[in-house]
Amino acid sequence: MNASRARFNSAVGFLDLARRAWKRSARLRVGAFLVGVVVFMAVLGPHVAPHPSDGWGVVPRNAAERAGKPPCPEFPFGTDNLGRDVLSRVLVGARLALVQITLVVSVSLALGLLVGVCAAYYKGPVEALLNYVAEVFLALPALVVALALRLALGQGLHIVVASLILSWWPWYARSSYIYARAVVEMEYVLLARLAGVPARTVLFRHVLANVAPPVLVQAITDLGSVLLEASAINFLGIGLPPDAPDWGVIVQNGFRYIVSMPWVSMFPGAFILITALGFSLVGDSLREELDPKMRRRWKLWF
Amino acid sequence: MSLNYLVKRLAWSAAVLVGVTVFSYVVIVLSPGDPAVKWAGNPRGPGAAKAIEEARKELGLDLPLHLQVLNFLKMVFTGNLGYSIAYRQPVFAVLVRNLTATLELLFAAYLIGVPLGSLLGVAASLQRGRSVDGFLQTLGLALASAPSFWLGMAIFGALFSAGFPAYGRVSTGLALMTGFQAITGFYLLDSLLQLNIPLFIDALARLLPPALAVAAYPTGLCLRLSRALVADALLEEYVRAAVAWGVKRRIVVWKYAFRAALPGLVQVAGTAFAYSLIDAMVVEYVFGREGLGRLLFDAIAFSDFKLATGLLVLVAAFYLVVNTLADIAQAVIDPRVKL
Amino acid sequence: MVLAVEAKRLSVGYEELEELLWAVRGVSFEVREGEAFCIVGESGSGKSTVASAIAGILPPHAVTEGELRVGGRLVVKGNERDYEGVRGHLVTYVPQSPGASLNPYLEIGDQFYYVLNNLYGLSRKEAREKARTYLEMAGLDPGAVLDRYPHELSGGMLQRAAIALALSTGAKILVADEPTSSLDAHLRLQIVQLLKRLRSEVGLTLIFITHDMLLAGVLSERIAVMYAGHLVEVGPTKEVLRKPLHPYTSMLIECVPVLGVKRPLKAYAGEPPNLSEAGRGCPFYDRCPFRLEACASEIPPVKEVGESYYVACWLY
Repeated sequence: MNASRARFNSAVGFLDLARRAWKRSARLRVGAFLVGVVVFMAVLGPHVAPHPSDGWGVVPRNAAERAGKPPCPEFPFGTDNLGRDVLSRVLVGARLALVQITLVVSVSLALGLLVGVCAAYYKGPVEALLNYVAEVFLALPALVVALALRLALGQGLHIVVASLILSWWPWYARSSYIYARAVVEMEYVLLARLAGVPARTVLFRHVLANVAPPVLVQAITDLGSVLLEASAINFLGIGLPPDAPDWGVIVQNGFRYIVSMPWVSMFPGAFILITALGFSLVGDSLREELDPKMRRRWKLWF
Repeated sequence: MSLNYLVKRLAWSAAVLVGVTVFSYVVIVLSPGDPAVKWAGNPRGPGAAKAIEEARKELGLDLPLHLQVLNFLKMVFTGNLGYSIAYRQPVFAVLVRNLTATLELLFAAYLIGVPLGSLLGVAASLQRGRSVDGFLQTLGLALASAPSFWLGMAIFGALFSAGFPAYGRVSTGLALMTGFQAITGFYLLDSLLQLNIPLFIDALARLLPPALAVAAYPTGLCLRLSRALVADALLEEYVRAAVAWGVKRRIVVWKYAFRAALPGLVQVAGTAFAYSLIDAMVVEYVFGREGLGRLLFDAIAFSDFKLATGLLVLVAAFYLVVNTLADIAQAVIDPRVKL
Repeated sequence: MVLAVEAKRLSVGYEELEELLWAVRGVSFEVREGEAFCIVGESGSGKSTVASAIAGILPPHAVTEGELRVGGRLVVKGNERDYEGVRGHLVTYVPQSPGASLNPYLEIGDQFYYVLNNLYGLSRKEAREKARTYLEMAGLDPGAVLDRYPHELSGGMLQRAAIALALSTGAKILVADEPTSSLDAHLRLQIVQLLKRLRSEVGLTLIFITHDMLLAGVLSERIAVMYAGHLVEVGPTKEVLRKPLHPYTSMLIECVPVLGVKRPLKAYAGEPPNLSEAGRGCPFYDRCPFRLEACASEIPPVKEVGESYYVACWLY
């Protein structure tokens, strides 16, 4: 019994995993650094930004003379067509970026884990129904759902977040269902049930604890992917309004001026890339740590 | 592959589409405001009241609940969603016409990205853990993490300032001059069929830049995947045996190791193809190409709920079909799998 | 006298993450051409690693020391390994698990083609003909096998197909890793007879790994006993089995039930040491019934005790 428990890491084991990976993998350190930079921007951005009001989207009073300046010492990322400092906008935008993705991933994860584990545990018609519902939502493209929600509910943050949650939770449901199915068959779960431990306790303590780590690692990588989708939704103007301090929106602002003022779109886009890359690096190296065989190095020997 | 499997798959997909349609119905009906007004596209002016009344009838809002849903399902599944407000044409006609445009872009992107990524991945797996591998791995991750609209804009901007406006699918002037007719909707194919070489070149030149933007993701994905799968395969017993029997390196790498990676690659690439439809739509918008991307935009501009619903069902159907095809392709490639 | 295989203080280790684990420690032996040589030992003794080293399929994270010559060619020197022109040409390999050693994505006929084409430049038709010969030699019906995928064949058929593939290379040295452990009894006999026949007809040098002492007795002329990576005894099979010198060899023999002989079976306690535990004395110290003072502190040197008969034990 102990052997089977040892195979799946518990929450504490997850931290161990992270610690080992940190020592071994340069990519994890680089990824963590990138994520750290973005988190720093999110927390302190509005306070560190040279022109905070620009950052929040307010058009400055001397807009005409400030507009469209290329990167220079006064405005390291240049200014946009309305004279707003792009660096400040990017700094402030980090906060909204992280808020969106954390909301989406945490809610989807929680919902998906719950549904997946319940489907594996209760089996029968509950299982079939939950699987069907998950499949339906899996087939929904976030962007088009965002469109439909936009037409129904009007613009706003809720559009982006809701459409992404609706299309992401089934992924977690599916992976946690697969993992949970294996765990549910294990002896100690059966024994716990036989011993009269109530279903809810067995469910949460045993099954969730064992299923969570690999799914958590996936969630970290997903933070990056969700940012890409959310930015696309905001870029098209389906989610947040045109002045919102969001990277995708800033890219949209610079769209028409891509030739004359490329810095307006290029910088926020680059930060989307950096953030997504950072999360991917972290998630990828954590996943490699879970699978020892992947860590060998060689040159072709034949 | 058995007929039984195909039938089961199709039945399941149909059931899922029913679910998707019900979902969009729920969105229309349950969101705040009058569903009929939304369905009619928030009309204003003299014809408004009449339009709203028509919309009410179309949605069957006077019917009992279960009949409403059934009515809606019938509308969608018979392809009769009414007239798009933005285009004043039957919704499904609009959708199909634009689907081919987006598909052309998607095919081009994947034809570039999948082979490129896979080959780079093989190169990385042969030198695992060395600097080449680390570089390629990070490159793969970077490509897969790049926002496609941003890449598209960078490419578009660069080309534009270099004097080449890669806008739209074809130069309208050239199309008129050469009397180009769209037959299949795939302009590359159509221009070849009409032996219209200047237009073919023009269409190709306008297709490649956006295709590159969309190709970044599959390149990165296939690079990482093929690297992992081929590296795993190289450690397999049958590879060792083949090496021991004197089979040449080139054959072992491609016919033994890469061949083992192929089913997984095909399946994942196929699934990614479905989800990249969205990427293609966004990039289309950036390059001003006709296609489903433009529909997104127009749907908002005209509050065209019918178009939005049609899009939702179409894209969902696309996902289901492509996923099924990917699974079938995987089974065909892997002789051990019997469907 | 030409030596098919010559090992001089050969050591093989595996780089696992931070550690270097030695599977084979300073092994020296010779195999004459045309000889049937058997390496026995428990799991973890390093016998499979020796087989891999001879066949040229050590994994990329392997580390080597010492020298190894196969067919007169120096293939291992220090940590440098060069099997160019050796694999398939001079030495061939019969793997342990038949199911896993054939490419699941290719038909058997195609697999023969790739081997024969790479070694001899044969065309598809020529390769097919040759494949027939070898399949029949291994006791298989070519028609039932050539156009099939591995997952369509039974375990016994797969093992024979693998043997046929190994033989088709035409190499004179055959390294077989547990060739019969995955087979049923009647198939086992067939394979043994096949190998015997090949030796007399073709003059194959047979090197096989096994934990089955009976098979060793039936098939080999010289036997080498390995324990925890060390070679403890090597000599003519009949002599070694009749009167084993090293305590470990006696233990192995006493554990084997022999039909028709009534003898109490002895079960020996203990397990071979972990790869990572490198003690200072004789590796068999913990389980040896004849412990001497020297055994705990120094590894016994290899002593010649007869005509090409060597033992590594302080008793001698």
